[in-house]
Formats: sequence, structure tokens, C-alpha cells
Amino acid sequence: MDATDRTAVLARARGGDGEAFRVLVEQHSRRVFQLAFRMTGNEHDAEDVVQESFLRAYRQLGRFEARANFGTWLYRIVANCAVDMLRAKRSRGDQMNPAGLEEQLLSAPTTGPNPERLAESAEIQRRVAAALGELSPVERAAFTLRHYEGRSIEEICSTLNLRTSAAKHSVFRAVKKLRVALGPLRMAAGTPEQP
Amino acid sequence: MTHYSEEDLTLFFYGEGRRRGAVQLHIDSCPTCAALYQNIASTMKLIATPEAPERDERYGLEVWQRIRPILPVHPPSHSPWWAVNRLVLGGAVAALILAAFIAGRTWPQPQPPSRTPAAASSLASTDVSDRMRMVAISDHLEQSERLLLDFVNAGGQVVDVSNQQALASELIKTNRLYREAADGAGDVGIADVLDALERNLIEIAHGPSTLSLAEFNKTRMWLDASALLFKVRVLSDELHERELSSATTPRKDA
Repeated sequence: MDATDRTAVLARARGGDGEAFRVLVEQHSRRVFQLAFRMTGNEHDAEDVVQESFLRAYRQLGRFEARANFGTWLYRIVANCAVDMLRAKRSRGDQMNPAGLEEQLLSAPTTGPNPERLAESAEIQRRVAAALGELSPVERAAFTLRHYEGRSIEEICSTLNLRTSAAKHSVFRAVKKLRVALGPLRMAAGTPEQP
Repeated sequence: MTHYSEEDLTLFFYGEGRRRGAVQLHIDSCPTCAALYQNIASTMKLIATPEAPERDERYGLEVWQRIRPILPVHPPSHSPWWAVNRLVLGGAVAALILAAFIAGRTWPQPQPPSRTPAAASSLASTDVSDRMRMVAISDHLEQSERLLLDFVNAGGQVVDVSNQQALASELIKTNRLYREAADGAGDVGIADVLDALERNLIEIAHGPSTLSLAEFNKTRMWLDASALLFKVRVLSDELHERELSSATTPRKDA
């Protein structure tokens, strides 16, 4: 689909054309799921975020500026939906279930095939998943955007509607908590511990 | 020698921050900062990007089929300029509503013997203004809920709540206007929740911007004790419901 087609589809979707919105959903779903999964760390929650994000996008299409990039706009909605989902889970007192993420992390290729290496890698990924589950929703979102998605602090500010200092602090606090949680593993791996 | 902070080095690791050349030179020559940087870098390298479970080409269609039956019936509406700053808009709407309410109270009104077209139109405008008020309050509650959640979910040994304080200060003004309007309109339930919200917003806005973990837990406890978050959420849902039903119910006086 070229730029002219994309513009036309967007214009039709903004005018309430369901078929045009279907095209947008089909185009962006996989990317949306990927981000939602990284943000929530859980396949089931990620699916909920995908669904809620497209519903929000549909409701807010009237606010979308035609000249803006739909993917970027949608990305922002997904990130905020994921934060809302994490907050809701927290306020309900749900424990983060890192199983999905852990499963995926465990399946990541390791550099050495021997069982010891695999066990070590599994332990690392288990700790990583657990430590991510301990972060506050905003910390987790900011960390995901910075560490996994490679977004700059400026982009994180605009995506999560945070001030620069808040975005920096969120990333920093996340890194600090992860360092504490993963410290013993780093020591086991032979890296010197810092006071 | 002045060392770089953990925060500076974390930002440096991610390719952010100013004077990166100077930071690199310092790391090269300072064993303390070099060790700390190495510690940060080695931890972060343990955290590999997880691959999301595979979704095939039909996934987009599956998502569409899931959301299609629950998409709102009405097409998306265009609401460009006023959607830009919801806080400013909230304040303006609150002021208008309050002004309209005071004008309505103080303006001498003749008592018409029967319902005339003018009276019908006045009723309709009251209806519209009431709906506007509910939408605006619902929006305000949503923002307040986010703020409270942000606040209670803050963490760390020293909790920095300066961002939440700034937002609380802005919300106090709007909250006051809505509370006065609700009081005047006799909406006791709404006024009560807004009153409790206002007291808590003032506490947040005027408290210290950094709290020790013990202080923070104490603050969080009184927030929990007042069940404010729950009340705000319930009222927000209720207004949202009202909003939906008034949008779908045909007006009898039209």
C-alpha cells in the first residue's frame, strides 16, 4: 500500500468507514501485539491490550491529525493502555505473572549448548521476569520503551505523557531495581559487585 | 575528583545525556566511575529483548473479528482544537458551568403559566449544560484517578512525588469549581466525593516533594483508609454510565 492509499484509508476510517478501520487493524496488529507483550510480559494481558488499544484508537480517531503518523499515534495508545492494564492489575492486588515472558525468554537462543549454561540462562531470565514484575507500571513502561524498544527519553516523554525528569527517573529507578535484583547473578557470572 | 552519578551513567549507557565525550573521558580515567559503569552495563546486558510469541499473517483479521462486534456504533467524531489541553479545557468548562449556575440562581425569572417553546428550549439547554457538567466531571475524575494511582504506585527508598504534586496543584482549582457547582445543583453524592478528593489533592500538593519510605507508607495508608481511589472510580463509572445512557436515550422534550 503506498502513501496515497494509506492517506485515503485513514481519511475513510476517520469518517467512520469500518472497512477502512479493518485495514488499519490488519496492518498494525502484529506490531501492536509485540509492544503489548513486551510491556505486560504476559501473552493473555497483551491480547487484552491489543483489543483495548484498537477500541480506544477507534473512539479517538476524530482527534487524530491527518498529517501525523498513524503508527506513532497508535503506539502511544498501546503504551498507555498497557500502563493502565498494569495499574489495574496492581490495584486489584494481582501478582504479575511472568510466565509468558519467562517462557519466551527461556526460548531465546543461548551462546553455549551445554546444560550448565542453559540452566544459568534460565535462572537469569527467571530473575529478570520476576524483577520486571516488581517495577511500578510507569517504571516498567519507561524501561520497556528505553531498553527493549530503543526509544529516547524525549520519545518516552511524548509516548507516556511524562515530563523529562519523570521519564528519566522512571528509567533510572527501573534500572536501579533491576541491578539490585540481578546483583547476585552478576556476581555469580564473575562481574565485580558495586557497593 | 567529582564523580558521575548512577543516573548520569545509566543515561550514558543508553546513549543519552549531555557531554557524552566528557563522561567517556572520565570513565576512562576514574576507576570508581568505571566500576560503576561496568556494573550497570553488565546488568543491562543480562536483560535480552524477549521475542513475542509468533503471530501469523491472519492475526490482524482475528483481531478485527474480535473487536468488530464491540466497536461503538457511532463513527469517530472530530474534536480537534479542544482536545489539545484537557486540563485547560476542564478549567474553562468548570468556570463556565459555575458561572451559568450562579447566573441561573441570581437572574430574576418570570414564572410562565404553561410550557412555552421558550421554556422547552430553556429545559433543553439545562439538560445540555447538565450533560456537559457530567462529562467534564467524569473527565476530571479520570485524571484524578490516574494521579492517585501514580501516587500510590510510586516506589523507592526515597519517594519523589514532585510530578504528582504539580498535577495535583492544577487539579485542585478545577476540582473546587466542580465541587461548588455540584453543591449548588444539589448533587450531594458528587459534591462529597469531590470534597474528599480536594482535601487529598491539597495534602499531596502541599506535602513534601520527596518522602522517606516510612513517610510515604503513612501517606499511602491514609489514602487507603479514606478509600478515595475506590470512591473516585465508582463515581467516574457512574457518570460514564449516565453519559452513555443520556447519549442513547431520545430526549422527551425535543
